[in-house]
Amino acid sequence: MMPLTMADVGENITIKKIGGKDETKKFLETLGFVVGGVVTVVTEINGNMIVNVKDSRVAISKEMANKIQV
Amino acid sequence: MSIKIALAGNPNCGKTTLFNALTGSNQFVGNWPGVTVEKKEGKLKGHSDAIIVDLPGIYSLSPYTLEEVVARNFLITERPDAILNIIDGTNLERNLYLTTQLVELGIPVIAAVNMMDVVAKNGDKVNTANLAKELGCKVVEISALKGTGVTEAADKAVAVANARRRMIPQHSFEGCVEHTLAHIEEAVLHEMPEEQQRWYAIKIFERDEKVMAQLNIPADIQKHIEQDIKACEDEMDDDAESIITNERYVYIGTIIKDCCVKKNKGGMTTSDKIDRIVTNRFLALPIFAVVMFIVYYVSVTTVGTVLTDWTNDTLFGAWIIPAAQSALEAIGCAGWLTGLLVDGVISGVGAVLGFVPQMLVLFAFLAFLESCGYMARIAFIMDRIFRKFGLSGKSFIPMLIGTGCGVPGIMASRTIENDRDRKMTIMTTTFIPCGAKLPIIALIAGALFGGASWVAPSAYFVGIAAIICSGIILKKTKMFAGDPAPFVIELPAYHMPTVMNVLRSMWERGWSFIKKAGTIILLSTIVIWFAQSFGFANGSFGMVEDMNDSLLAAIGGAIAFIFTPLGWGNWRSAVAAITGLVAKENVVATFGQLYGFAEVAEDGTEVWGSLAGSMTAVAAYSFLVFNLLCAPCFAAMGAIKREMNNAKWFWFAIGYQTVLAYLVSLCVYQIGTLITTGTFGVGVIAAFVIMAGFIYLLFRPYKESNKFTMNVSSVDAKAKAKA
Repeated sequence: MMPLTMADVGENITIKKIGGKDETKKFLETLGFVVGGVVTVVTEINGNMIVNVKDSRVAISKEMANKIQV
Repeated sequence: MSIKIALAGNPNCGKTTLFNALTGSNQFVGNWPGVTVEKKEGKLKGHSDAIIVDLPGIYSLSPYTLEEVVARNFLITERPDAILNIIDGTNLERNLYLTTQLVELGIPVIAAVNMMDVVAKNGDKVNTANLAKELGCKVVEISALKGTGVTEAADKAVAVANARRRMIPQHSFEGCVEHTLAHIEEAVLHEMPEEQQRWYAIKIFERDEKVMAQLNIPADIQKHIEQDIKACEDEMDDDAESIITNERYVYIGTIIKDCCVKKNKGGMTTSDKIDRIVTNRFLALPIFAVVMFIVYYVSVTTVGTVLTDWTNDTLFGAWIIPAAQSALEAIGCAGWLTGLLVDGVISGVGAVLGFVPQMLVLFAFLAFLESCGYMARIAFIMDRIFRKFGLSGKSFIPMLIGTGCGVPGIMASRTIENDRDRKMTIMTTTFIPCGAKLPIIALIAGALFGGASWVAPSAYFVGIAAIICSGIILKKTKMFAGDPAPFVIELPAYHMPTVMNVLRSMWERGWSFIKKAGTIILLSTIVIWFAQSFGFANGSFGMVEDMNDSLLAAIGGAIAFIFTPLGWGNWRSAVAAITGLVAKENVVATFGQLYGFAEVAEDGTEVWGSLAGSMTAVAAYSFLVFNLLCAPCFAAMGAIKREMNNAKWFWFAIGYQTVLAYLVSLCVYQIGTLITTGTFGVGVIAAFVIMAGFIYLLFRPYKESNKFTMNVSSVDAKAKAKA
């Protein structure tokens, strides 16, 4: 397992675990970040990333991306 | 009897476009009670008895964001007659997540699958007949942008609302979850209408605090339910909320398999390809700079200036004012009334309206950037930079709009969900020089710095520095302590906006400014006009010819001493600063009138000589800084008050801005004078003390890190005690 921030751009990756405070976790879940879901990193700027999840693009900050283990 | 239809859907799914298509111009905009989330209602075209309520864009009915709370409160307390759920057809999976929750409310739902034209273009297929069967509600294919299917969707929504048939959700959860839900319904909810029970049961299962508080469940029953939930959690090896979320996605997965055929699976979409370039690590900032340069070049220097000059000089200057003057004189209107109407009202309001064309051009650009999807990317690009001083990337958009006018800038802060971040953005947005502050900059630069080219950029620099420093200082106070909210924003797919939508959004922002000009500014110009035209002359109160005798001069003289430490303690400058509160560009006009010129050019060329004689260059710069940073004009203050939605916060914001302006100007003047003339006095000492305090506030540790070291030391102490 590694944090999403370390994933390569363009690769299909499966989410293994979502950490963080309950509220953060739930918000990520409603956006489609669920354990077992497949995401793709579109771009990355200094740790902030744009992630393709369930056919939509979501921009998340480094802090959030670090809480997602893939 | 009228029926109410709620329009619900994810952000960026085309909800606003559909709402506009359904209601036309028949809309009422207000706020949801108690919060600054916009509430839009409208009469449905062709059904005079049907009202459409536009709910905020939401991803789910959980209680985590303000929008979600507002939307679900409306749905469960007011229970509309039907829900028109708009679904982005290109992104079914995520959009259906909300749908699965809406159908549980028991309110009849019509699902409108939007962007069917894009779906068809991509070569994908959505089988709406299957979708209807799986969801248990009617499904309509629409394209809100093209207007296809919209009427059909509306008609169906009206039909189900009138039929009043309850909605039966088709989905069932895992056995043990259903078992627990049945228990909850039996124990707590049996008195509720049957169709409402399921949604409440699921929320109780998720331990939703707001629902629990609303239902006020007796302690013994609650304990009993808790046991059931716990047992279920143990069986599924997950927490209750995640069980529900995961099951929903599994359910949606099966729906998608049945209803949706994708042509290119997992490939890069056009939006992804654009994002690769536009938000690229190296290219993002240069591309952004070029876009901004074009926007400002066109709206400020070329098209915008032409339009603004025409409005100021020709429309008001050459046509309306002389026409009004002669018309009033022709009907034999009293001199004072003519003065009030022409010099007070028309000139005052006209000066403000002169900025409207320029602003409209800027707003058209911003609306374009917003609706094509680039604005959300800007927030993403700027986030890492803004985070360094305690703001989020979303704060950038209000500031960007604020360079045109602070009023819509402050209003744009609504998109920031986090309350602390939003308040901080509202407080700092007006530090950026807005369009109306430019004439002041031109005046000072021309009068005292020989038109030096560094003055204008330095004003922007002062504004940006004030935002950065304020961000850091405020973040370290108890009120704003804590990390900025984690940045999460959905990036809509890039698309070409329609002309209508851009114009509509441009007009909405521009109109809010024009309305201000017609109310607050109108009123305050009358007050200022009165104060400057009336006064005590020759021993009696009445209209005065010489402004030196006016009430305004008396007030200015009385308060001028406050500004002596800033280097411009003469009554004219004090009065100019006061009139600046009405509208910043008034400062120049006031100087003109106070030095006895009836009409001055926008940059006040005529008064340059007099102004240069009355203050030093350093004092003038201090005057400029004060006007840039102090409380904005009445219109912007009104916007701050409305967006803060709280009198205490409003006064805190205004107070902070004014105190900061005062202190910075004081330092500028005192230290500047020390450098240029070598004069040393009490003021200089005060300036150094303020500087020291300022530096302390900037560099003192954050509140959390304070706590952290305390924890460490207490752990140390415990360790020592053990040893």
